[in-house]
Amino acid sequence: MQNKIKQSAANKTLSAFAYVLLTIGSIICVLPFIVIVSGSFTDNATIITKGYSLLPKNFTTAAYQTIFRSPKDIIQAYKMNFYYTGIGTFLGLMMITLTGYVISRKEFKYRNTVSFLIYFTSIFGGGMIPWYLMYANVLNLKGHTLAIWFPALMSPFLVILMRTFIVGAVPDAITESAKIDGAGHFTIFFKIVLPVLKPGLATVGLFLALGYWNDWYRSSMFSTNSSTWQLQFYLYDLLNATTAMKQMASNVSMKTADLPTESVKLAMAVVATGPVLLFYPFVQRYFVSGITVGAVKG
Amino acid sequence: MKKKVLSMFLAASMVATLLSGCGSNTAKTAADQLEAEGVGEIPVAEEQAPEETKEATTLDLSKQVDLVFYVMGDAPKDEEKVEAAINEKLLEKCNATIDMQFSTWTEFQQKYANEITAQSADLIYIANWLNYGQLASSGAFVELDDLLDTVAPTLKETVGENALNMCRVDGKIYAVPNTWAEYVSAGVKYREDLREKYNLPVPNSLENLEAYLMGIKENDPSQGLLTATTEESQGFQTGFDAAWALNFKYNWVTQNGLYYGLAANYDTPSDVYDYWYSDDFVDDMKMLKRWADAGFWSKSALSDTNNSESYANGLCVAEVAGQNPNKQITAIMEFKNGGHDDWKSAYVAYGETNGVIYPGHATQNGTAIVNGCKDPERALLVLETLLCDDEMNALIQYGIKGEHYDVVDGIYHNLADEAGESSTFPYEGFNTWNLRNGETKLPQATDVELQKMFDAYEKLGAKTKFPNVNIFDGFSENFESYSAERAAVSNVMSQYLAPLEAGLVTDVDAAVEEFRSKMKEAGIDKCREEYTKQWKAYCDEYGYN
Repeated sequence: MQNKIKQSAANKTLSAFAYVLLTIGSIICVLPFIVIVSGSFTDNATIITKGYSLLPKNFTTAAYQTIFRSPKDIIQAYKMNFYYTGIGTFLGLMMITLTGYVISRKEFKYRNTVSFLIYFTSIFGGGMIPWYLMYANVLNLKGHTLAIWFPALMSPFLVILMRTFIVGAVPDAITESAKIDGAGHFTIFFKIVLPVLKPGLATVGLFLALGYWNDWYRSSMFSTNSSTWQLQFYLYDLLNATTAMKQMASNVSMKTADLPTESVKLAMAVVATGPVLLFYPFVQRYFVSGITVGAVKG
Repeated sequence: MKKKVLSMFLAASMVATLLSGCGSNTAKTAADQLEAEGVGEIPVAEEQAPEETKEATTLDLSKQVDLVFYVMGDAPKDEEKVEAAINEKLLEKCNATIDMQFSTWTEFQQKYANEITAQSADLIYIANWLNYGQLASSGAFVELDDLLDTVAPTLKETVGENALNMCRVDGKIYAVPNTWAEYVSAGVKYREDLREKYNLPVPNSLENLEAYLMGIKENDPSQGLLTATTEESQGFQTGFDAAWALNFKYNWVTQNGLYYGLAANYDTPSDVYDYWYSDDFVDDMKMLKRWADAGFWSKSALSDTNNSESYANGLCVAEVAGQNPNKQITAIMEFKNGGHDDWKSAYVAYGETNGVIYPGHATQNGTAIVNGCKDPERALLVLETLLCDDEMNALIQYGIKGEHYDVVDGIYHNLADEAGESSTFPYEGFNTWNLRNGETKLPQATDVELQKMFDAYEKLGAKTKFPNVNIFDGFSENFESYSAERAAVSNVMSQYLAPLEAGLVTDVDAAVEEFRSKMKEAGIDKCREEYTKQWKAYCDEYGYN
């Protein structure tokens, strides 16, 4: 214990306070999830009559049996989500890094103009209808999977993040010395710049990947076939269908008897988020360090 | 320092992105959306159908036309299979194909507006709850008056002049309604078995409803009575669900009266009178207070969310708001599926007591041709084929016979459902409620009971001054000039009217006074004045006097 530094009373109180606060915070975060898992194992009638509980009251796996009777849809949605996330993150990362690098280079004469054009879109947008018309009517992408991953490849925010990170992480001296040694732009970028960018790449890549993984909006707008749906949209639409149809049933004759029950909805949520939850803690580490590195050094 | 400012800006912009991502637009209507996006008028395609003489002509069918048919909801699993079967026949009959496209139930208002702006669909489902009237008058749809004569006289005859007239907007027909008269008459759903058990009256009036609920409370104090929240009372008529029961008392033109506390009787629709500032209103509020004190609904009813499954699970013994005959049928099925064979659900429509009963309005389920359609004439011909040709109608409504469904004794049977599998093409699997043909619509097993109710209502409806005419639902309010007052009125309703109707006030008279004066402050008079003007003009236009 030679390294132990004696803590003052104030310090101790502070950390005690912090621990209590964090404990409460994490309980608040974990509780809803426990309720969802427990609800998914509870008999539907029990949820309706007795409400939710922390431990399943009438344990049953009926909800999961219902889902896995035809798991094809969920598996398809998973597949599509991996596809969109993979291709979107890879191409997006490439484009954002290249753009960020170019507009960070002092010898690029029009870098301010180009940067302005990029940043400008982060404040002034055309709005939803022009955006939709652009993809649906001008580019004719409605019904294409391209319409789902293409629109999110670049975001001004991530370009800014990348640019500031490059400025901070790659001093001019390095690139200059490489240039003197006869390296061209591509050699400089791939051999010198890219290796020191790893934390930045992790941050931007995670932002992109999470964005793709959690998106449902573009499926909602552009999909014409349910086999191209993103996972989140598959789930979101399931919930919306239930509420919308119950609401509509006051105006229109339609069948509402076989809509998914409460416990099936909860089981759906577990099945869809489960794998991500396992995956999340492992990348979280990079995510946090990446953000601080990028922002503070900027 | 600069860097700090920058990083703060970044953080702030991140938060802003997150916040805007969470905002929900679902409450906005399609027309609101268009307006918010600055699309005041929907662009009208340059190409118009060439002028033609008013005689029926034979269309030139030499060129194949591929049409997009936009409908609401989710696609059935066997969409492509049924589409292929339809198109095979459709190519023979009209040399055209259709591609069904579905809105899904996510942000469907927004997407519906987009679809019309983008003009990518040819045929489209329309309904009053999708703002048919407003869209039609802003030029979203192709005018059908002449086309119906020249291209589709059979369709015109099948649908009938009366129904088509109800679809007129500014004097022009823009949509073709379905031809199945459907009664969505609001009423009270209650437990017949409990009523018999305790020997209580049928809840077919305010007094009997009170006696029924009181009787159950006395016999079984632990039993929940009414599920009443604010969920079915989001408009400008009521603030709390229990107030729907008042329809037993009044023969208003529509359930819950007109907007903004105005009312008009069904027999004299253009004679608008005041309800919120009348003595009747005070009496009604006192009665609701008595019900609340008797514990008919929970003390936290105003903040509860409506649990639509509570009736099915026996948590309440009656529902008074947002009900219709079809929900009664659903309840019977739910009792059976839930293993409660000894429970019995019964239904009393308010119209059976107050004498005002009518089927759904023609604009409730219809089809329009979107302006910008590739070939409006062919689209109308296809619509005629889908609605009037029995074989085609059966195909699009029920799928492939022998594979998806079968008919036994004139009753529809879904083969997958009966085999215990999830259906690949359910009843009306394309959600084409707009293609219901009253003559040939196949009943499901549960529809037999429903049809009995409809038949009874039809007889009652025939006795009214406007036999079987839904007056109210063809009216669409244009609140542009008083939208600020309207929003204020809406706030006062949820703040003062809801607790009043839920009986959660100590002194009813004082609370009524406060509600009335707050309404005046909110600008109720302006709303009422404009609304009355528009309503009267509507009544004049369609001859509801």
